[in-house]
Amino acid sequence: MTRGTVSYIGQRLILIAVTTVLVSSIVFLLLHQIPGNAFLNETRTSPQSLAANLHHYGLDLPLPQQYVNWFTNVLHGNLGESLKNRGVFITPLLIREASVSATVGFFALLITIGLGLILGVIAALRQNTWIDYVASSASVVGYSIPSFVLAIFGLLIAGHYFYIWTGGTLYYVPGWGKIEQIPVPALALGLPYAAYVARLTRASMLETIRTDYVRTAWAKGLKPRVVVIRHALRNALIPVVTILGPLITGIITGSVVIENIFGIPGLGKEFITSILARDYNIVIGVFTFYAALVGLANLAVDVIYPVLDPRIRY
Amino acid sequence: MAAVAPLPQPELAATYEMPVEQVSLLQDAWNRIRRNRLALVGACIIALLLTTAIVATFWTPYPVWLQAVGPTYQPPSAKHLLGLDQAGRDILSRIMGGATITIQVGVGSAIIVSLIGIPLGLIAGYYRGWVDTAISFFINIWYGIPDLLVALILVFVLSDALHLIPRGVFVIVLAFSLTRWMDVARLVRGQTLALREREFVEAARMSGARNLRIVARHILPNALGPIIVQATFAIPAAVLFEAFLSFLGLGLPSPTPSWGAMAADGYHGMDFAPHIVLAPTIALSITLMAFNWLGDGLRDAFDPRMRH
Repeated sequence: MTRGTVSYIGQRLILIAVTTVLVSSIVFLLLHQIPGNAFLNETRTSPQSLAANLHHYGLDLPLPQQYVNWFTNVLHGNLGESLKNRGVFITPLLIREASVSATVGFFALLITIGLGLILGVIAALRQNTWIDYVASSASVVGYSIPSFVLAIFGLLIAGHYFYIWTGGTLYYVPGWGKIEQIPVPALALGLPYAAYVARLTRASMLETIRTDYVRTAWAKGLKPRVVVIRHALRNALIPVVTILGPLITGIITGSVVIENIFGIPGLGKEFITSILARDYNIVIGVFTFYAALVGLANLAVDVIYPVLDPRIRY
Repeated sequence: MAAVAPLPQPELAATYEMPVEQVSLLQDAWNRIRRNRLALVGACIIALLLTTAIVATFWTPYPVWLQAVGPTYQPPSAKHLLGLDQAGRDILSRIMGGATITIQVGVGSAIIVSLIGIPLGLIAGYYRGWVDTAISFFINIWYGIPDLLVALILVFVLSDALHLIPRGVFVIVLAFSLTRWMDVARLVRGQTLALREREFVEAARMSGARNLRIVARHILPNALGPIIVQATFAIPAAVLFEAFLSFLGLGLPSPTPSWGAMAADGYHGMDFAPHIVLAPTIALSITLMAFNWLGDGLRDAFDPRMRH
């Protein structure tokens, strides 16, 4: 950690904070342009109770005042209170749900990077053999199939056909809480990106294994494992790391629809549920959370860079 | 006296270096893409999709909205090649109608993304200085946001909550473009930065061309290849966004035969009528694949590093 790195990370953190605040402010202002109020759709309420409700949430204040209040609260880590379920505070709710989303996302990322790297490296090392052809065609098809389509196929195969084939002994039940409920959504979320990583790894591995230093490494009589992993792969990884940022954003976005399909109580499900229920406080909260998350993920990727390639310095 | 040997006449053809065969940008790209089988397959699928989309605007076997043309959930048969859905609508007709929507969303987004991205990129790259700093800052900020989720909120606010634009193809295209213009802008900016230092731009400036003319006649045409590639990649992204929205019930409203909405319809009856969900998802996957293959082919074809 040089001083440059520290100040770089500092600058990026400030930029992330600015972005998060800016974007969630836009969402806040957009959602507060909506005519009427959040309680209009409910069963008939007396004017007194409506006024009490509005007052409770500070919605009777002028918009600039509401904005300042919201902003101060966000700076204190308080994202407000659910409009539909009074007494439910959003920050703890989102932290609980984020841990669920993070679990799925972590395994999806593991599949993406693990499977993608392994397939890409093997395809490159065995170029123009059947292994290469199978891996390459799988990835060229795989990266175009959106994760929600894979999720539907996964649900159909793992939930329905497995039940028939195994006579009801081994099959997937949508939901959350058991370990065996993780693989299907994680695969659906991770596979398209794994295909993409495999393609990229193959291309950049093909370039690196033809370089002089890799030939030197072979000539020195190093073990194949050492040559491939320490000499070739480490350098081939650099282009792969560049897409990690968009990839993590993609997994976060993809989790929105995956969680809805598989009934996983994470951030993505909350996001859609609250949009449809018009619980704007939660929508703004989830969004602020997401914006910060995407920024931090991108920062993490940029910090990994110099580790792989010492030529890159901040 | 020996006759003076006639001076050897220089051969005309040999004195002039034969010019390298002139190939236009598009022709060169075509020559390259012809050799790329995957890209050709993609182009053929897209041609089929386009034809289907055009045909479907005038004719489908059954009206896309017509319910109960037969028993609900009927599996594929000779009369209804892809079967009927949960409301007894002909799925083949709806897939065809969906092709029209897909093309509208994809092409519309590619156009609007370019309309936003190209001018911004040109201005940033050509004028540099504080204009560039401002636009680049904006681009970087925009990159740091979960774009699809912003687009989702935009669609919801613009059409559901404020009723400014009716829920339809246009609002989806608009929301998508407003959150995804950065790729094109960044690319054009980079190209412009490089091109503005080239000799032909200098020559144009020397001969008194105004900025607008230099940008429009000298810089933009030379950056066209990469722009086309980037716009091609915007198409599958937009198509996926539309399907994603409609699947979640936030996209095109119900009778519209959007593939995403059809998948959401079929998803509930998946156990006993998988054909309803399979038809639109497979159509969607093939379409995305075709556009990605064509995009990859175009990228290789337009890549200047590969030329000669």
